[in-house]
Amino acid sequence: MNDADVSKQIQQMVRFIRQEAEEKANEISVSAEEEFNIEKLQLVEADKKKIRQEYERKERQVEIRKKIEYSMQLNASRIKVLQAQDDVISSMKEAASKELLTVSHHHDDHVYRNLLKDLIVQCLLRLKEPSVLLRCRKDDLHLVENVLDSAAQEYAEKANVDPPEIIVDNQVYLPPGPSRHNSHDLYCSGGVVLASRDGKIVCENTLDARLDVVFRKKLPEIRKQLFGQIVA
Amino acid sequence: MDPFKGQGGIQMLLIAEQEAQHIVSNARNLRTQRLKQAKDEVEREAAQYRSHMEDEYQKLISENTGSSGSNVKRLEEETDAKIKNLKKSTSKISSEVVDMLLKYVTNIKT
Repeated sequence: MNDADVSKQIQQMVRFIRQEAEEKANEISVSAEEEFNIEKLQLVEADKKKIRQEYERKERQVEIRKKIEYSMQLNASRIKVLQAQDDVISSMKEAASKELLTVSHHHDDHVYRNLLKDLIVQCLLRLKEPSVLLRCRKDDLHLVENVLDSAAQEYAEKANVDPPEIIVDNQVYLPPGPSRHNSHDLYCSGGVVLASRDGKIVCENTLDARLDVVFRKKLPEIRKQLFGQIVA
Repeated sequence: MDPFKGQGGIQMLLIAEQEAQHIVSNARNLRTQRLKQAKDEVEREAAQYRSHMEDEYQKLISENTGSSGSNVKRLEEETDAKIKNLKKSTSKISSEVVDMLLKYVTNIKT
């Protein structure tokens, strides 16, 4: 081999080395670009997914918060209506309670006196005792004493028994009627309370007690008249 | 054989080999750089996407606020109307009810 051949071969080898390197570099470059795109796509998709999930959660929370708020508003609204209903019913009972005063303050004593007699007779019929204790308001004492005999007699006739003994309590009275001065005290708008001699059986026939019973009994009817047309 | 010529040839080959290493090494560096660039671009796109989602979210919130407000207002109006009707009904039948109650209180069955 002469020098020219050697030199030629070396040049050929150098070109080969360079070509190999460039091919290698090109291969690296191509795979880098592929990796770049794949990596980018995957990362973008992963990030977007994470972000999307985050905002979906936030939006769900907004919806939930909205529903909770509306639900609370709706509940408050219902309570407000129910409270208003209770208020009007209470005001009616209060009006009736105030009206009770007119019963015992009737201009004609005869009406209230007769009422007291009937109340006493009713209690006697319920108790069916030969001897009873009676309590009334101090203001009603004279009226009660006035009708005791006729009440006892009426009971005796209805029950077909001997007239009972009715002992009026002169020591303890029912409270007086309500007034501005004792608006927070116990009060009694009228009527009587009778009890057996041993005190074990009590027949409370005050106007207030009767109103409570009537009111409770008629409440469904009252509510129907008031709220039958309203959906609470 | 000329020793210089032999040495020169080997030297050329060594130089070529080094240059080859540089070429490959550069390619590898570019790849690393490219991958880092990918991450940078991903972060930028993610930030854009997040910004877009945030805008949508804020829009949703303001819409809901308006919607919720109108719902609440409607609810209040309905409630007030119910209570108003209630009071009307009450005033109509109140005296009847009171009279009825008093009638039963004072009607004694003996």
